[in-house]
Amino acid sequence: MKRLVVEDLKYRYPLSQELALNDISFAVEKGEFIGIVGPNGAGKSTLCQAITGLAPNFLKGAYGGRVLVDGMEVAKEEIAEIATHVGIVFQNPFTQIAGSKLTVFEEVAFGLENLGIPRYEMKKRIEEALELLDIAALRDRNPFDLSGGQMQRLAIAGIIAMKPEIIVLDEPTSQLDPQGSEEVFQAVQNLSREGMTVLMVEHKIEKIAAYADKVLLLCAGKLIDFERPPKVFSREDLEDYGIAPPVFTRVCKKLNIKTADGLYPVTLKEAYDKVVKILE
Amino acid sequence: MTKKSRWSFNFSTASLVLIPAAVGINYIGKFFAGALKLPLWLDSIGTVLASMLAGPVIGALSGAINNIIYGLTADPISLVYAITSVAIGITVGILAYKGWMDSWPKALFSGIIVALVSAVVSTPLNIKFWGGQTGNFWGDSVFAFLIANKYPVLIASFVDEILVDIPDKIATILVSYAIFRGLPNKLTLVYKNESEIEKL
Amino acid sequence: MKTLSLYQPGRSIIHKIDPVTKLLFIILAIFVPIIIGTWGAALLTLLISLSFILIGRVFKKVLPILGFSSIIILSVIIIQGLFYVNNKAPLFTLGPVTVYREGFYYALNIALRIYNILVAVSILVLTTKPSDLIEALVRKGFSPRIGYIFSSVLQIIPQMMSTVDTISDAQRSRGLETEGRLSARIKAFFPLIGPVVMNSLISTRERAMALEVRAFNSKRKKTFLHEEVKTGYSRFLQFILLAILLAAIVWRVLS
Ligand SMILES: Nc1ncnc2c1ncn2[C@@H]1O[C@H](COP(=O)(O)OP(=O)(O)OP(=O)(O)O)[C@@H](O)[C@H]1O
Ligand SMILES: [Mg+2]
Repeated sequence: MKRLVVEDLKYRYPLSQELALNDISFAVEKGEFIGIVGPNGAGKSTLCQAITGLAPNFLKGAYGGRVLVDGMEVAKEEIAEIATHVGIVFQNPFTQIAGSKLTVFEEVAFGLENLGIPRYEMKKRIEEALELLDIAALRDRNPFDLSGGQMQRLAIAGIIAMKPEIIVLDEPTSQLDPQGSEEVFQAVQNLSREGMTVLMVEHKIEKIAAYADKVLLLCAGKLIDFERPPKVFSREDLEDYGIAPPVFTRVCKKLNIKTADGLYPVTLKEAYDKVVKILE
Repeated sequence: MTKKSRWSFNFSTASLVLIPAAVGINYIGKFFAGALKLPLWLDSIGTVLASMLAGPVIGALSGAINNIIYGLTADPISLVYAITSVAIGITVGILAYKGWMDSWPKALFSGIIVALVSAVVSTPLNIKFWGGQTGNFWGDSVFAFLIANKYPVLIASFVDEILVDIPDKIATILVSYAIFRGLPNKLTLVYKNESEIEKL
Repeated sequence: MKTLSLYQPGRSIIHKIDPVTKLLFIILAIFVPIIIGTWGAALLTLLISLSFILIGRVFKKVLPILGFSSIIILSVIIIQGLFYVNNKAPLFTLGPVTVYREGFYYALNIALRIYNILVAVSILVLTTKPSDLIEALVRKGFSPRIGYIFSSVLQIIPQMMSTVDTISDAQRSRGLETEGRLSARIKAFFPLIGPVVMNSLISTRERAMALEVRAFNSKRKKTFLHEEVKTGYSRFLQFILLAILLAAIVWRVLS
């Protein structure tokens, strides 16, 4: 079943001359994990914002094509209603904390209160979200007292509690220290395992190689490729798009180690399996 | 831009979140003016920026909320002067809209206008609540001198207030203008609620 | 993490009274003396407010709030005592200066009015958690969006102040002069305030989007995580307060 369908999506920011998204089409199945990669200014953030209806509903500008989430056309819906179908997490955990709540528990409630969710249901959802993001122990802490990684997981919990079918994460770890990043990656992996459809923009290419079912390569507002990680990362022209392949792919390329389908391995495990096979 | 959108009470989320930022900026301006022992208050930079970015209504709201928060967390009398802050917010919003905030000389002129508005609005409050004084040492000395020489309280109080307001509001507007000029275009645009979505 | 607030936790009856009733009391404490217009009324109101402060066990905390204005009040007493236009009858003479009765009483009147406001507002701010006040107002139909602004200001300011510390240290270590001549101090203002202001303005864009995707603009009817704490007698108290206000107006009209 197609969870997300993007058709001929075009978008231009107000006052801008160029298209930030230029005729993008792709579809995502339920439960898939999509990694979005591309150089700076490629339009990755813009794409995330278009999937959640922020472009054009919040950002205005010029818009064409369609984004369908479970058949619902996002550009025609209120952002608040879209939020119950597709959620988004941004880079900076600070700006995502509502700032009006005094505890982690209340913070997760923010979106649910706005949606008018009944109290018993609200509490149940908050408990689940805290559990899933592994921050239940922090429930009574002030959100601003948390570490970066904890705060970002809280931001994710606030989104998850609204029960979207899809979650979009735009470089969720770029402002975190290594430990915080690891916590967040773990959390995202958890969500994916729970069957959530995930789209994640990430510069740490090894993470994409490890988690993603498919990689969406974007450059200058155009969709260059949308394929399995080995396929995308084995492209000879990958570096032209400002992307360095994962380190294992580079090593295998140097050693000319290919898998059965003629592609280079992208993760340590794939590389290792292949090497073991060769040595046998 | 249409006049209507400028005066709209249908606030965008971006304009609303500008208000807490504005109040915080007011607070920090006041803090640094105190820490550096400057002879100015500099406590309305945020209100001025909010008006410049999002118009008179958001500016006025920032001013009002600023004084309510200050009144409830430090000095209750500041609640009374919410009226002055609202007047400053509205004035700057209109001046900016009329193009009186887009060069240094114009900003200087606007500073004088804002000082006058502020003094005109504050003076009756000063008279009603403080018998005409401002609590500023130099201003109040002049006030004492004037009423000792039988000038009407209205005049004495106005002079007291304007002496404090002229340097303070000019400095405030100039600082705000300098900051405004440094803001990226894509930021200043989001506060304006009016742009339509074009079809591609 | 601190939120900006003067609230003193406690379990007195004053703490338990609902915030809206306390707001109503402030309005009463300010306007009833003005409506009635006698010394007695103003003094009585002040005494009642002070007794609430005592019952709430927050008397010590009220002093700094009063201190703020007391210096100005002192200067008002001196200036009006000496120079008030209607000054005629000398009250007392200290060396070369004479303090007059009319100016002195005029200044006392001002002092009474100011202290009335200060103490009445103090009851609210010292014995009410800000978040409870805001939530109570939103439940009464006050805009939740404006309610949000108030709560977030209370957290944003301490937040910004902590960045301020970092920035001041950084700028000072780069040799910024923050003491000495006035011109040096004026020059220092910009590098100190600039980065915090820019940052806070720039982050409003992402914060606005983050709020939008958490249904901030939802048209649905909002619910609350916390149940409303109903104090049985709050309606009764509010009724009494309104009755007093009405009585004062009637008294004024009839006399
Ligand atoms: N608010 C805006 N107004 C005008 N142009 C914008 C705006 N935001 C982004 N752009 C432009 O749109 C293009 C795509 O930007 P976007 O932020 O989506 O890129 P990105 O792939 O997320 O880059 P990064 O890796 O730096 O996050 C860029 O050319 C950028 O300059
Ligand atoms: Mg980006």
